[in-house]
Amino acid sequence: MGKKPDVLQGTLALMVLKTLDVFGPLHGYGIARRIEQISGDLLAVNQGTLYPVLLKLEHEGSITSDWGASENNRRARFYQLTRAGHKQLQAETKDWEQTAAIIARFFEVKAEDLS
Amino acid sequence: MRSLRRFLARLANFATRQQNDQRLREEMEEHLAQQTAENLRAGMLPAEARRQAVLKFGAVEAVREDYHAEQGLPFIEGLLQDLRYAMRLFAKSPGFAAVAILTIALGIGATTAIFSIVNAVLLRSLPYPEPDRLVKILFNNPGTESYAVRFSVPELDDLRNRAGVFEHVSAMARGSTDLTGGSQPERLETLITSSNYFSMLGATPQIGRLFGSQDFTPGYAAVAVISDHLWRRNFAADPKILGRTIHLDNDPYTIVGVLPPGFRHPGRASSQDVEVWITSGFSAAPDPPPTRSARSLPQAYGRLKPGVTLAQAQDRLTAMANQLRHQYATDYPSEAKWTIEILPLQEALVGKIRPTLLVLQGAVILIVFIVSLNIANLLLARASGRQQEMAVRRALGASRGRVVRQMLTESVLLSFMGGATGIALAVGALKFMMRFIPSTVPRGSEVTVDWAVLSLALLISLLTGLLFGLAPAIHSSKSDLSTAIREGTRGSGYSARSNRLRDALIVSELAIAVVLMIGAGLLLRTLRDLLKENPGFNPTQVVAASVSLPYPNDPRLDPYLTIARQSIFYRELQRRINAIPGVELAAFVSDLPAAGSPFNFGLGIEGRPFKSGEELRAEPIIISPDYFKVMQAPLVRGRYFAEDDQDGKLPVAIVDESTARRYWPDHDPLGRRLRIGQDPTSSWRTIVGIVKNIKHDGLDVDGVPHVYISIYQKFDAVQGVVFRDFAIVSRTSLPASILEPQIRHQVKSIDPGLPVYNVTSMNELLDRSLASRRFSAQLVGGFAGLALLLASIGIYGLLAYMVGQRSREIGLRMALGAGRADILKLILQKGIVLAAVGVIAGVILSASTASMMASLLYGVRPRDPVVFLTVPLLLLAVAILASYIPAWRATKVDSMAALRDA
Repeated sequence: MGKKPDVLQGTLALMVLKTLDVFGPLHGYGIARRIEQISGDLLAVNQGTLYPVLLKLEHEGSITSDWGASENNRRARFYQLTRAGHKQLQAETKDWEQTAAIIARFFEVKAEDLS
Repeated sequence: MRSLRRFLARLANFATRQQNDQRLREEMEEHLAQQTAENLRAGMLPAEARRQAVLKFGAVEAVREDYHAEQGLPFIEGLLQDLRYAMRLFAKSPGFAAVAILTIALGIGATTAIFSIVNAVLLRSLPYPEPDRLVKILFNNPGTESYAVRFSVPELDDLRNRAGVFEHVSAMARGSTDLTGGSQPERLETLITSSNYFSMLGATPQIGRLFGSQDFTPGYAAVAVISDHLWRRNFAADPKILGRTIHLDNDPYTIVGVLPPGFRHPGRASSQDVEVWITSGFSAAPDPPPTRSARSLPQAYGRLKPGVTLAQAQDRLTAMANQLRHQYATDYPSEAKWTIEILPLQEALVGKIRPTLLVLQGAVILIVFIVSLNIANLLLARASGRQQEMAVRRALGASRGRVVRQMLTESVLLSFMGGATGIALAVGALKFMMRFIPSTVPRGSEVTVDWAVLSLALLISLLTGLLFGLAPAIHSSKSDLSTAIREGTRGSGYSARSNRLRDALIVSELAIAVVLMIGAGLLLRTLRDLLKENPGFNPTQVVAASVSLPYPNDPRLDPYLTIARQSIFYRELQRRINAIPGVELAAFVSDLPAAGSPFNFGLGIEGRPFKSGEELRAEPIIISPDYFKVMQAPLVRGRYFAEDDQDGKLPVAIVDESTARRYWPDHDPLGRRLRIGQDPTSSWRTIVGIVKNIKHDGLDVDGVPHVYISIYQKFDAVQGVVFRDFAIVSRTSLPASILEPQIRHQVKSIDPGLPVYNVTSMNELLDRSLASRRFSAQLVGGFAGLALLLASIGIYGLLAYMVGQRSREIGLRMALGAGRADILKLILQKGIVLAAVGVIAGVILSASTASMMASLLYGVRPRDPVVFLTVPLLLLAVAILASYIPAWRATKVDSMAALRDA
């Protein structure tokens, strides 16, 4: 039971939120597919790690879930963003953008810029 | 906010045990089905499509575990799981669990019981507002080695007006008084105090009022405050009691207030609690006029002003004492070096009992150590046997921390179960023990198992659990996986490393047991010596009964004002008691043996001027002529008192050998003269006899000089002390209980106002004077026995375990030709070496710490050779016995079976 780095956990949660925000209610496999499509490698393996994250988000009240029917008419659990989840996504998006901007500036910095 | 919500969701899941796999399983199924379908669409073969889907999904078990962790509260779940597992283990080996729990229970129980006493007596603060500011004020003459001497009213005024550090200073005198007017006269404990006594303590009345400045008069105020207990006992809690008059030693007092039930005078409860409070200015009759040298006040307490520290107050008082010594040079002889000292009241009250309690406390701490070591050893042995289990757990992926946690959970559970049993034991035992707590223990009535005691007991349980669990836990988690699994099947877990650890534990256990046993040995020997101690008389078949003649402040109310009137009473009482069938002979004495005479007076010796630095002192004891005959105390020289040694005849005295040796080392004291007190006007008394020493101050007090004076000769009050309390001693074959009503009847028929109390046999009185020593000796003795038992169980357990683990080796040795004697020797040797090392360590430890017990010993040296020889031998013998059983069992090892198993 190796521990995944927390950053990955955190980003995965954010990706789930964003995916649900963009695509509306989805079942687990659907979320995994979308994230795979967008992010490339992140969920190419270990797709299963998605499910504990979904449960955690549900416990936090950011998403809700219910049984529904999938495309091939099988029982599947559909996840949906809540109002709180929407707010959380906005807040975290802002945070990420800020962090990313700061980090970007650090990457671009050259010694002569500061002399 | 979100994390709280998440926690609540998990808690809800945890509480409702909603842990089913159903949802995850269905979701995984669906996920895999979709992925497989996707893969098929991509052109894979069905089997390959499924395989790739599973691969992509990742480690199912890891996901499931994470999912479950998110579902509930994994730490608590782990804990519960460990607890359940531990309970199952204990249920599987109930013998082990019972021994362990009982051992811990004994340790924790003993600690709880002793600590609840220590807590009540030494630690809990006094039940008055701001108790830290209360102090006891002591006047000392270090130059003449007399301490806590009496003081005068001008000195009291100096403390109040000149020192500037006290908010209140109250003088007080303990006494007892005859309460008359009820169904039968009663003896009550009284306290005569300054009128600010209750304000100093911060007491409030239950009904009525307490003393205040309106009660201040130079002499005695005619008002009294009574305790709740007296109010309920004698006055049926009558709320209209206020204003009622009672007679104390014939003097009338008006009751003005009743104290609340919880109020107690902060004093040593030598007999009973104070029940009546009276107030006086101590400067009018019957007290002497208030001059600086009229030192008649025995005790003073004070309350420091807020913000004044003890050290500041002490500095100020020392400076003031210096000034006073210069200012009144005639009243303070320079060689006496008169000083004033203050002690926190709590500390002053605890006094003599502190070393006893500290020794008991030390003893229980040692017991807890032994218990921990014993359990640690037990667990270590078990842990070695469970190495395989632990190795399998680790191989299956349990982290080291997780394994340590599981082991610790087991040991802490064990210690809590033991602790709970122990606390229950303590609560039960304490009720039983309270009956044996000597009445000299101050605040003994306040002993309870309170929250402080309970939390300490639980804390100790937890600590011992961690302490004795940690070593085995770490030990087993460290084990090398592959070796353990391989060896495990073969069952030889006796590795050198764990071996050494166990040996060290056993050796320390034995060493501590030795320390405890030596301590107990010293105390028990002291007690035995004291019981055998010759009290100077024959206490068997002597019954004592106390009577008190009233001593009113108003001489007109005093029927026993003159020695002539007292003599008539004494002679008549003597005649009547002697006439009781079964009484051989009766006599009177002012202070019973072993009861301790509180009065110690200066002594004048004819032809010897008072020399500086040397203080002549003696305790006067007033007796009727037959006293020594009743007590069967041998006369050394001269004669006893005769009936006509009475007032008007030549004043006479009898001294004991201590006095004779001390003050007339080279002369025969017979015919020489002395007087009690250094007042030059009092009459000389001629010494007519010398008797053997009688232990008047307790069996454990030696060499106090006594001077005996006849009850029929006038004895001038010295320092305001008047002898009105006396005891009837009767040599009789009757038990005290049968004699009591007859004595009561005879006293009553002469004077119905006289109370008779404390009727008991002399033997019991002597016994009671040793109560505190007996208590501590027997308690420490019990602890030592426990320690011995635990140590022998420990050594037995270790060797038995060793034999079990090495049975293959033993079998092999025997197969190779070792005889039974060799095997016996092999195991015995191990036990003896361990015991010897432990005993030597213990003896060294005891020898270096025994001097701490010196104050509790009497007639026994702290390094008493008998004890220091007997205890090690006893322990060695027990250790050999304990090792013999496993050794003998080792010789019964069937070598064929042992080798086959290998």
